[in-house]
Amino acid sequence: MPRMHHPLPWHRIAHHDMLVETTHDERARLDTIAHLNVFAAQRLAPTVKTAFERKGVTPSDRHEVRQAMERDPAFRAWSLVRRNTMEMRQKTGRDIVGRQRESLREKADRLNAAKGSQQSRLHLDPSLDVPRYVSGVDQHLMQGGYTAEWLDRDVSNAANYDAGMFATVGGSAGPHNDAAGRALCEWLRREFPAFVPSRIVDLGCGLGHNTLPLRQIFPTAEIIAVDVAAPMLRYGHARARALGVDDIEFRQEDATRTSLSSHSVDLVFSTMVLHETSHEALPRLLQESHRLLRGGGLCIHLEQPPYRGLNPFEQFMRDWDGRYNNEPFWSALHESDLRQMMTKVGFREDLVFETRCVAPSWQSSRPTEEDFGRAPAWYAVGAWQAVEGSTAEG
Amino acid sequence: MYSHLPHKADPNPPQPTTLRGRRPEFTDDPMLDRLYAITLALVTELSVTRARVDTLERLLERKGLVDSSEVENFTPDESEAAKRGDIQQQYLDRIFRVLTE
Ligand SMILES: C[S@@+](CC[C@H](N)C(=O)[O-])C[C@H]1O[C@@H](n2cnc3c(N)ncnc32)[C@H](O)[C@@H]1O
Repeated sequence: MPRMHHPLPWHRIAHHDMLVETTHDERARLDTIAHLNVFAAQRLAPTVKTAFERKGVTPSDRHEVRQAMERDPAFRAWSLVRRNTMEMRQKTGRDIVGRQRESLREKADRLNAAKGSQQSRLHLDPSLDVPRYVSGVDQHLMQGGYTAEWLDRDVSNAANYDAGMFATVGGSAGPHNDAAGRALCEWLRREFPAFVPSRIVDLGCGLGHNTLPLRQIFPTAEIIAVDVAAPMLRYGHARARALGVDDIEFRQEDATRTSLSSHSVDLVFSTMVLHETSHEALPRLLQESHRLLRGGGLCIHLEQPPYRGLNPFEQFMRDWDGRYNNEPFWSALHESDLRQMMTKVGFREDLVFETRCVAPSWQSSRPTEEDFGRAPAWYAVGAWQAVEGSTAEG
Repeated sequence: MYSHLPHKADPNPPQPTTLRGRRPEFTDDPMLDRLYAITLALVTELSVTRARVDTLERLLERKGLVDSSEVENFTPDESEAAKRGDIQQQYLDRIFRVLTE
């Protein structure tokens, strides 16, 4: 048997006061699911590739690969393992959270309360009109999606998300599940060491996994993390405090129309949000990034790479989530021309760019192998905001 | 179970287990898809059990406490047996998840 790297086990992920309590067997179950994911990526995915190569076809696009492969046993077996690990991961998390949801809520309440004279930085807006494209989807097979609440002040799904994330990605996001945030920081430090934003906005922050790394490299910046999902924000603010981070604002806002004033932000970013944004909302989210930025400011959105430029087989493999993992906007996003969209919403063409952000390894021996969408490396589209009065030459 | 009935409104309803969005089928026989799901759950559970046995063996060994004949001849008392029954039921719930969700 070829040696595979071991996924990060539960006892190595960062523990904090907001994290669920687990039994021995629940931990073993999540660890097994992480192993199954690594197995599917490293042992089964190559069998799909071999099966495809044996067919000797030369498809012109991913649809033709699908026609050739849809009924192939290797593809079907890989898919069945992938789909079932996702479903089992959700059930495991749901069972863990279900029996302690009241105590999790209490923990969140306690951590989110004002401390002495210090106001809480959690700002929820119960009157917010949550977009249907978010509340109507059980993203990646998570029952109820990001916004569902079964209790008053519920944090269930956010707690489940935090507890099981490492199993879904086979541990590749590191102990704090923050590889995308660290990849962005690494890129900023390497490419633009002199860029020091004083106001940063994270659009669609979720529970803030990838917001917190920004605090480390920009210790004095004002950081505002926005999301439409109250359970994620409640949990995220509590988690940040539990990890000793007390000065990030978590706001319940729609990222396509925030209440922040125009030209008031130096860095607008998002991680893994575009693929969960509807066709209509996507240009509006990019437009909002443009509205928020000051001249000389930067916006950057981290995602999986677009299909263009990838061979049809890889496109087909990467499209799996779009078809089988309740990600209805996945395929369309990866087929869209984000550069062009950025220009359309007002960014100057010569200031729009595409790049690649790679997380520095938290564990020196870990390989950065490809996992068709789950490795710690991202494509990013971004733009600098033109400074008033400057020209393409200036 | 009857949460759709208005007069049973529970202020704290349990999280539903049904998923919005169709579960895809990857084989030509829906029973085969279900069999895969059950088998994968079994794979997972067997691995969990192995991990637990390994934990126990390591602990017992560290402490020099138990030899294998004691394990072979073990009989649970009444409350231990009841607890084991619960474990079995939860186990089956996980194995047959695909038939119940
Ligand atoms: C895949 S999660 C990513 C979360 C986080 N950025 C991370 O990297 O862990 C996508 C998040 O985007 C949020 N979202 C989607 N559309 C949004 C919108 N219009 N405004 C604010 N948040 C949105 C969802 O609620 C969800 O928390």
